[in-house]
Amino acid sequence: MSPDALGLSARVDLGRDPRTGGRGPALLLRAVQLDRSGPADPWNAVATERLADLMDRVGPRPRGTAELIGVLEREGLTGHGGAHVPTWMKWRAALRAGGPLTVVANGAESEPLSAKDATLLQQRPHLVLDGLALAAEALGARRAVVWLHGADEVTRAAVQAAINERRAARTAEPLLEVVAGPTHYLAGESSAITQALNGGPALPTARRRGTDAAADSPRTLVQNVETLARLALIARGYPPTATMLLTVLTPVGREVLEAPRGTPFTDVLELTGWLRGRPPKAVLLGGFGGMWVHWRDVERLTFDEAELRAVGLTAGAGVVAPLPAGSCGLAETAAMAEYLASMSARQCGPCLFGLPALAEGVRLLAAGTATRRERIQVRADLRAVAGRGACHHPDGATRLITSALTVFEHDLDQHARGRVCPGSGEITLPVPRGTR
Amino acid sequence: MTGRDARRPVSPVAARPATELRLRVDPVACDGIGLCAHLAPSVVELDRWGYPVVVGHDLGRGEAGEARAAVRACPRRALWIETVQRSTVT
Repeated sequence: MSPDALGLSARVDLGRDPRTGGRGPALLLRAVQLDRSGPADPWNAVATERLADLMDRVGPRPRGTAELIGVLEREGLTGHGGAHVPTWMKWRAALRAGGPLTVVANGAESEPLSAKDATLLQQRPHLVLDGLALAAEALGARRAVVWLHGADEVTRAAVQAAINERRAARTAEPLLEVVAGPTHYLAGESSAITQALNGGPALPTARRRGTDAAADSPRTLVQNVETLARLALIARGYPPTATMLLTVLTPVGREVLEAPRGTPFTDVLELTGWLRGRPPKAVLLGGFGGMWVHWRDVERLTFDEAELRAVGLTAGAGVVAPLPAGSCGLAETAAMAEYLASMSARQCGPCLFGLPALAEGVRLLAAGTATRRERIQVRADLRAVAGRGACHHPDGATRLITSALTVFEHDLDQHARGRVCPGSGEITLPVPRGTR
Repeated sequence: MTGRDARRPVSPVAARPATELRLRVDPVACDGIGLCAHLAPSVVELDRWGYPVVVGHDLGRGEAGEARAAVRACPRRALWIETVQRSTVT
């Protein structure tokens, strides 16, 4: 399939976009390629959309009112940071409490492979800022913040320039600010952002529901930037954009693209150069905190979150990382588990001690040197760690490892007999070095 | 836990209180000191690293007493009892 078959390279009238099958305007101006790891610095950068261009394409932004919640419920908008929580539910919860509200556009993409949020902010910052302004107006927020990782210089410059452009144009809207947090992995986690914006460290906290929180204590609503961009289009009266933003690891780099909902996995893999030789062994869906999918299942799947959920999968934040034939999924998982263990905030015991124990266990499984007791311990530790952190970081790690034990079951058995995959010495996924 | 659950009287929904109590732990505050497991052995177990695993079910009368003792004794103030409205219990 050529890029044009998905319409990914065409620049067209976004208001009636054939790329989305006419179902809502597209989010990205164009697909971009970038390095396999590191910041979202595209090889083929697209000029940032100006405010006037956005208005030409999709019309002016309406004012945000309380009725918007009902619209979001009717249109079924869910969060695109990975968890797919219905947006209207978060808004209703934010409205229930009483203190001053801060609305946050979260662009701190911590998943090392993901680059779709930075790409969206670099191409169309005004669409995201429109969504943020709409949310702030609709919910009566005191503050409206774009939250980024400290290291996202290119993205920060694009967003700041867009905010300056809006001020110069005297756009009637709440004051929008950019706040750059730290760069560590958990600085994009919503409770960490909440704590940081209230003057604390950018580390996850546990929510103490059912205790007597002061009625006037500050509230924070964190929405992923892609969610807000979608909201900015829905608020204008467009049908919800029926696409998924994906970051696909390619044999030479990464590609951020917008796939119409229902696009077969194999179309995306073909487009990104994965089907020229032996097909991949498996696909990592959702990134390091996601899950492995066996190749024979990949062939049947499409990018439709509801369909994926029906078979126990999720695209998460849209990361797709194929594992080349000849690689060892257990060794790759061990490398990722080591990285995830190193990225713990070291606050919660089950994460602080459990993730290194799991990483070591998977390393032994991959090396083929695990004793029977150690093999049993890995499974016991998976049960012991899941769901016991203040945030979902340990859950991502256990999900990844659990899926590896299923998808690479045959390899696991072979490794246990001393027959280690020939490819296990070389890690093909771009796993950053941990800092533990 | 099953044995204890089996001894809890089964009453019709209408006769049960409108709210239920659950023991919760804040894993950030918790330092794995372990007093809770001594004071509330029916509702707290320790994992192999010494951190509490609390039962997921609503607290029975005796369990609630133990849980309150654990909440009071925790040096890190990491435990609390959550009141769950009946309508939200699934």
